[in-house]
Amino acid sequence: MLEIKDLKTNFNTYDGVVKALNGVNLTIKDGEIFGLVGETGSGKSVTCYSALKLLPKTGEVVGGNILLNGEDITHASEDRLRQIRGGEIGIIFQDPLSALNPVMTVNEQIGEILLLHQDAEINKLASEKGIPVYKSEKWKASPGVEFTIMAFCISFISLFIMLGQFTFSLPFLFVIGMMFLRDYLQRDIPASALDLMVIDALSRVKLPNPKQIARSYPHELSGGMQQRVMIAMALAGKAKMLIADEPTTALDVTIQAQILQLIKDIQKEENMAVLLITHDLGVVAETCEKVAVMYKGKIVEEASVDQIFTNPRHEYTRALLSAIPKSEKHLPNLSTNKKSARTTKSESSIDDFLKVKKEIIDE
Amino acid sequence: MNKESVNNQIIISIKNLCKHFPVKNVWGTDVALVKALDGVDLEIESGKTFGIVGESGCGKTTLMRTLLRLVEPTSGSVVLSEEITKNQFLSNSLEELTSEELRSFRRQIGVVFQDPMGALNPRMLIKDIVSEPLVIHGKTKEIREKVISLLNNVGLGEEHMYRYPHEFSGGQRQRIVIARALALDPKILVLDEPTSALDVSVQAQILNLLNDLQKKYELTYIFISHDLSVIEYMCDRLAVMYLGKVVEEADTEELFSNPQHPYTKALLSATPNFEKHKEKIMILGDVPSPITYLDQTKAELATEITEQERLEIKTIEGKGIDYIVRSSLNEVLPLKEVGTSHYARVK
Repeated sequence: MLEIKDLKTNFNTYDGVVKALNGVNLTIKDGEIFGLVGETGSGKSVTCYSALKLLPKTGEVVGGNILLNGEDITHASEDRLRQIRGGEIGIIFQDPLSALNPVMTVNEQIGEILLLHQDAEINKLASEKGIPVYKSEKWKASPGVEFTIMAFCISFISLFIMLGQFTFSLPFLFVIGMMFLRDYLQRDIPASALDLMVIDALSRVKLPNPKQIARSYPHELSGGMQQRVMIAMALAGKAKMLIADEPTTALDVTIQAQILQLIKDIQKEENMAVLLITHDLGVVAETCEKVAVMYKGKIVEEASVDQIFTNPRHEYTRALLSAIPKSEKHLPNLSTNKKSARTTKSESSIDDFLKVKKEIIDE
Repeated sequence: MNKESVNNQIIISIKNLCKHFPVKNVWGTDVALVKALDGVDLEIESGKTFGIVGESGCGKTTLMRTLLRLVEPTSGSVVLSEEITKNQFLSNSLEELTSEELRSFRRQIGVVFQDPMGALNPRMLIKDIVSEPLVIHGKTKEIREKVISLLNNVGLGEEHMYRYPHEFSGGQRQRIVIARALALDPKILVLDEPTSALDVSVQAQILNLLNDLQKKYELTYIFISHDLSVIEYMCDRLAVMYLGKVVEEADTEELFSNPQHPYTKALLSATPNFEKHKEKIMILGDVPSPITYLDQTKAELATEITEQERLEIKTIEGKGIDYIVRSSLNEVLPLKEVGTSHYARVK
């Protein structure tokens, strides 16, 4: 499905070049859940952003190839990338509230993706059922704008009446009259094909009462519901692959269990490929089939889940596993050995004291 | 009562503590109450680590704030032992302390907050941050030596004194916060999710440091967390909170091996770990709102919605997983002794 070959990504900063990825090799097959584990700064997120070309301006891919179903997308055009993002690869971000647009309703946000990637489907549904394609109500702004216009008109009308110049208020009366006339004429227009598809997308992620949720804004939903909306958005374009970048870090344990179960269920139903990026080894053990451990912009170990937990090969993996608190054992005081990735400047002196401690051999 | 608690070495006991935040409408009349704490009884032993677990919004942090009297409780009391009062205070009840006594009380409780970057002033040098409590409490003698020894205690050195917080990594920042909390030789350290912002390997370092400090200074820890593996590693005794109430309280081993309350069972099963073939219990639905409406009709309406949700939830099929419906947890039962010093709200 997705193949990453010897990927190298650099970030240009004022302090020098940060080599975030030093040759990453990954192969994700159809219908498998692949886990990518590592600490903060190991390059997990940069890997997936590089694959989708979502890097900030300072970052650039300097080497390697990215193959999607055999097609090289390393130097793909912006138009092609727009098709891929959402259409072929869906993505879920860590913090749902900052990833969702706060001034758009859920309906509008999911509708946007459907219009981009599922145009043919919507038209088909519309012609089958004989309903409008999208935007069933014409000449209508968002509720906030509608309210403001109404308030303006009423205040001007009352102002002119108080001043004794009734004739000046006539244009404003006309505007209010037209607004009511518009609502009256469009009183029983059926739901559009787009609305139906949005509700369908929301019910796929098992949200109770999808009609009501489609009308609401992101801040009105709880964290778990927001993350479900994000998943619905990622799936709306009928993507064959899902990248989940720490999907449960911002959530409670009980809600985390729900979301992970949902991802597993959907993966099974649609036979999708899932790339799950996380720092929690427990999450990997519960959901994934294959794991890759990342450290300092490289993949240090790649194996099946059972193998990595029973028989870890690389020293770093072993250290990572032993750092998980358990009641019976004493935690090893391992140093993270987080040397700065900058090359032009010598290592920052912040971590001087860490250097004294045990070094983990980097091959 | 006081004598007894000294015998059991109980340093703080909380009795029927309630904190209700009023919800007001436009005209300023109370329409509802947020029951953040609703009758919490806890006894915290000296020199041990007491853990508090629960979801976000269950009242863990409010409990901590009420313990420090940063918010005034609605009802209930906090009784301090002689170890803290040292016969200097007029009363051993926290809410009767005068402002002067409260200062001396707060000297004996250190706090470590969740987000170290938010807890450190970005414009102050580390030496100023760590010495600030000493200056405030008038211990200005040999400040430099004290700061150096505090920094050495947490694994930092003299060379870090003249730096700003942003120059440190997350784990080092948390060490600075711990050093500051220890500046006044407290008896109790309240740790509000001290490792939730850190990586596993850094988390391990901080937990080890906390354990060493506890042995060295015979500290009592009140450890608030939602990470059960950390709790299992750190705590001697544990209370599980749900919607402002303690639903289960037991020694850590007992609670992990023999959970009684359905919520505790679900929480234990929800924690991801490596044992693949264990029984799965999952809670359906989101964290319920802790708001109780004073108006009867509105209160009924609120419960009606949960009924409707329950119907929707029932349509979901279980796939080898036991499901718990949220509204089944809303029923309030009295605390019952189910084992040796193991209490749970079960039938």
